[in-house]
Amino acid sequence: MSFERILFYLFAAILVFAALRVISSRNPVHSALFLVLAFFTSSALWILLEAEFLAITLVLVYVGAVMVLFLFVVMMLDINFAPLREGFTRYLPLGAVVALVIVAEIVLVLLRGFDTLSGGAPAPKPADYSNTRAIGEVLYTDYLLPFEIASVILLVAIIAAIALTLRKRPGTRHQDPGKQVQVRKSDRLRIVEMKAEPRAGRAES
Amino acid sequence: MLDNYLPILVFIAIGIAFGVGPIFAGFILGPHRPDAEKLSPYECGFEAFEDSRMAFDVRYYLVAILFILFDLEIAFLFPWAVVLDQLGWFGFWAMVVFLGILVIGFIYEWKKGALEWE
Amino acid sequence: MNSVMADLSHAWPEVYILTMACVLLVVDLYLTERFRFVSYLLAQVTLLGAAMLTLGQMGGEGTAFTGAFVHDAMSDILKLFIYLVSAMVFLYARDYLKARNLLKGEFYMLGLFGVLGMMLLASAHSLLMLYLGLELMSLSMYALVAFNRDSPVASEAAMKYFVLGAIASGMLLYGMSLIYGATGSLDVATVAQAVTDEGVKGQVIRFGVVFLLVGLAFKLGAAPFHMWLPDVYQGAPTAVTLYLSAAPKIAAFAMFIRLLVDGLSGLVADWQQMLAVMAVLSLAIGNVVAIAQTNIKRMLAYSTISHAGFLLLGVLAGTPDGYAAAMFYTLTYAIMAAAGFGMITVLSRAGFEAEEIDDFKGLNSRSPWMAGMMALIMFSMAGVPPTVGFFAKLGVLEAVLAVDMVWLALAAVFFSIIGAYYYIRVVKVMYFDEAADESPLEAAVDTRIVVSANALAVLYLGLFPGTLMAICNAALGA
Repeated sequence: MSFERILFYLFAAILVFAALRVISSRNPVHSALFLVLAFFTSSALWILLEAEFLAITLVLVYVGAVMVLFLFVVMMLDINFAPLREGFTRYLPLGAVVALVIVAEIVLVLLRGFDTLSGGAPAPKPADYSNTRAIGEVLYTDYLLPFEIASVILLVAIIAAIALTLRKRPGTRHQDPGKQVQVRKSDRLRIVEMKAEPRAGRAES
Repeated sequence: MLDNYLPILVFIAIGIAFGVGPIFAGFILGPHRPDAEKLSPYECGFEAFEDSRMAFDVRYYLVAILFILFDLEIAFLFPWAVVLDQLGWFGFWAMVVFLGILVIGFIYEWKKGALEWE
Repeated sequence: MNSVMADLSHAWPEVYILTMACVLLVVDLYLTERFRFVSYLLAQVTLLGAAMLTLGQMGGEGTAFTGAFVHDAMSDILKLFIYLVSAMVFLYARDYLKARNLLKGEFYMLGLFGVLGMMLLASAHSLLMLYLGLELMSLSMYALVAFNRDSPVASEAAMKYFVLGAIASGMLLYGMSLIYGATGSLDVATVAQAVTDEGVKGQVIRFGVVFLLVGLAFKLGAAPFHMWLPDVYQGAPTAVTLYLSAAPKIAAFAMFIRLLVDGLSGLVADWQQMLAVMAVLSLAIGNVVAIAQTNIKRMLAYSTISHAGFLLLGVLAGTPDGYAAAMFYTLTYAIMAAAGFGMITVLSRAGFEAEEIDDFKGLNSRSPWMAGMMALIMFSMAGVPPTVGFFAKLGVLEAVLAVDMVWLALAAVFFSIIGAYYYIRVVKVMYFDEAADESPLEAAVDTRIVVSANALAVLYLGLFPGTLMAICNAALGA
């Protein structure tokens, strides 16, 4: 067995373990952290496939941003997670049977000739091969339309996120530096002309 | 090409060994004499007042999701920057349109006040 | 640069819709509440302009953007109907939203972006574009369902829709990746070529087709992937249900044609069986469960499932006549659905949702004209001649009989007869029951006129189905 293959099995084993822990861990924060581990190991698998750019992007986007969001959401939901698990054991037998049937079906189909794929493994790339460059060469030319549509989808996501979660809160106290700077003396200060009060008045009160 | 990554693999292995090794050694070698008082949460000597988990404001969610969207946008910039010398003006304008559409989204979120914290 | 201009010459409507949606987005930011109707007008102008552009490029054909985008007779017709139906939806939705304080520019922005997604689906010629178009459409629709964010029912519906929709997208994507793995191409034409060649006709691609069909059936709302549909239709604000029920079905039809017919016609024997199972299940579940409903939105949701079954029957015939019949069915169904849900918005007013079948009681004494229109729509959905629903069903059944699938045709007729019961129940309630409230209808004049025109179109197309039938035959027929 080659060294790469050993690495593949090592990372794959960690990935499967992490994925299992994501759904079996009691604490949702732990689940999220195991998901981070799963992303890291799958990015290692992608490196083994010589897809460096995608591997780095996976870490940047998923670990760097999406998992932060996950953690926020977990923290935002102020719910006790224990009751959510109550149905778990009750539905487990049925779920397990369905899952087993699906797996059996997939295995049956795959055993009957999944290896009709032609070509075989591609040759390893030379040391100075740049995956990022290869993606860039087609992404902005051959795949121009999908690329622009991706930005439209991001735009829709911005609109949807703001339309659904932004609320104006009346009564919050916040500073507006612009207004603070623009304030003139006349806005705040009123000089009242009045006669001096005698000292005695004060003693009475 | 994978050979280039061998040092990184070694680095990760050593990093894990350094990070996990001492914790694991401490766990194995250290004395274990737990009692109820030792295992209870410590809060400046007081009894714990409340559950340590508290709900975050939904506004964090908005900030986080806007961050993700622009993070994704940046991910598209890397390959573009690498091959811009080959793509020429065509690639330049392709990215201008891409960024332009997202700038409209930025105008929208700015004007809507999604970037204000109040 | 010249090649880009050549590419764009096929895609002007899409470019125009995108530009106008962005203009609307910015303009809406600077509108005060009183001038919100400007957003509505802009949206209608956008659809009208896009229709002009599409009409202007009718007859042209070609692929653009290195094969990712196709412009042909089918895409033009489907796009025109998408504009038409969406324009009606925007009109019906206007007063409904205004009465509920929901009239915001976002409805029209998301609506237009959804229309853009549907247009891309109608013209998609690569697996990647199909996926992106679908996501653009779905993302807009998820947000629209949750549009009334203070309503717990709507939020729950949106959550179900989003989670199940994401799973379906995952299935579709997995199927596409298997097909890509087997054929080595995302381009529909190349996939079709690879499928007809021997060698890749292996299990991999069949395996991919299964997942593909699961995703497609979910998006169309065909049984057994229909679970989301009744809850979402009921939970979403009626204006949004209206949007979901009409134009996206046209886009879903386009997806079936582009993937199964353009791309995988070499595997027709494989997907035919799967579609047959889904069609019969949809007809059975849609028509039988609808009988038990008291909520008219939910009832129409089950009716949508049964209509999806008919659409699948046309596609699974596997002949050009079948595809043309399915196209005719889809286009006329979109018009019927817009009219049906439009009628619910006409009956609703501030603080009152005409959601229950009982709310239609005695409509005849309140407004005989509207009752007549509603009866027309219900008859058409049931497939009573001379409305268009009858001819649409007839066309599909002929196509199925032409390929000797008699039992499928029999099942379709059997379940349609069962289904006729619940449509006619609505008619009975309108004409023979006492009205619960006698207040006159409040709908605006233009809404009434367009709803009436919409319902009369159902009759007109039934009396003179020839033109539309000929258009569908020209687009897809032999």
